[in-house]
Amino acid sequence: MTGATGILVALIVLTIVLAAVFLLRTSITVGITGKILAFVALCILPALCIDAGMSMHMQRSEQTKFCISCHSMENYGKSLYVDDPKAIPAQHFQNHRVPPDMACYACHTDYTIYGPMKDKLKGITRIYLQYVSTPPNPITIPGGFKNAQCLHCHAGARSFEENPVHAAIMSSLTSNQLSCVSSGCHDTVHSASEVDHLKMWRPGQ
Amino acid sequence: MKLRAIGIQRFLQVSSGLIILGLLVEIVSLVWFHPLAFVLFAFVGAMLIGLGIVVYLASLVLAVSAPAENRG
Repeated sequence: MTGATGILVALIVLTIVLAAVFLLRTSITVGITGKILAFVALCILPALCIDAGMSMHMQRSEQTKFCISCHSMENYGKSLYVDDPKAIPAQHFQNHRVPPDMACYACHTDYTIYGPMKDKLKGITRIYLQYVSTPPNPITIPGGFKNAQCLHCHAGARSFEENPVHAAIMSSLTSNQLSCVSSGCHDTVHSASEVDHLKMWRPGQ
Repeated sequence: MKLRAIGIQRFLQVSSGLIILGLLVEIVSLVWFHPLAFVLFAFVGAMLIGLGIVVYLASLVLAVSAPAENRG
């Protein structure tokens, strides 16, 4: 349990204890102090627990280990360790071009104000497919992988902008007319179906 | 008046019960590292806590509206 989770659990336990007082002795609310305490214990603290819990769950779902805890995502997680310099996700993960503990989120989130919330809603749809319906095979991204997710980091980077190939097609890249990953340039991505037959990188060896 | 007071106390008990149950579910969802933990939190825990808060607020409204009824 992390420090933040520990603090939240302590807050929840405190709220449970205070709520239990009103479950067992409702006569406390006769006085003004009791009324104020009831407002804190039965309204303010529970609302705070919902807000902090939601925030905690949102942060937790940004972690790589969270994404690959789903059975259908296991091979995508393994593909981050493929020993291939052309494999884009593996190279980003292994060389810390994205934070390794948030590797999936860094490349697949929607970088807008409500992006994390939209991702969470999409995630609930996938949970439904996993447990109620049948997950698609292979798994595809609705609407395809958008260049904006690459350009969020690469746009403005010297090595990216000064590359003559990138410079020549920059307007097509920014308008998403030409895909970074599916137009024949950086097309080695997760290779999830064949990951068990590929050479793997083992950290520390 | 006595009956109304008992009703408000009952509201508080139901509210406390729902909040405690919801918070226990929230603790389970926090210690369980799985994609379903969020579903458990959002659709069970938060719903129970939210319902508990609504029941508590309803008890406040009833407590305030009581004298007005007497005046009428």
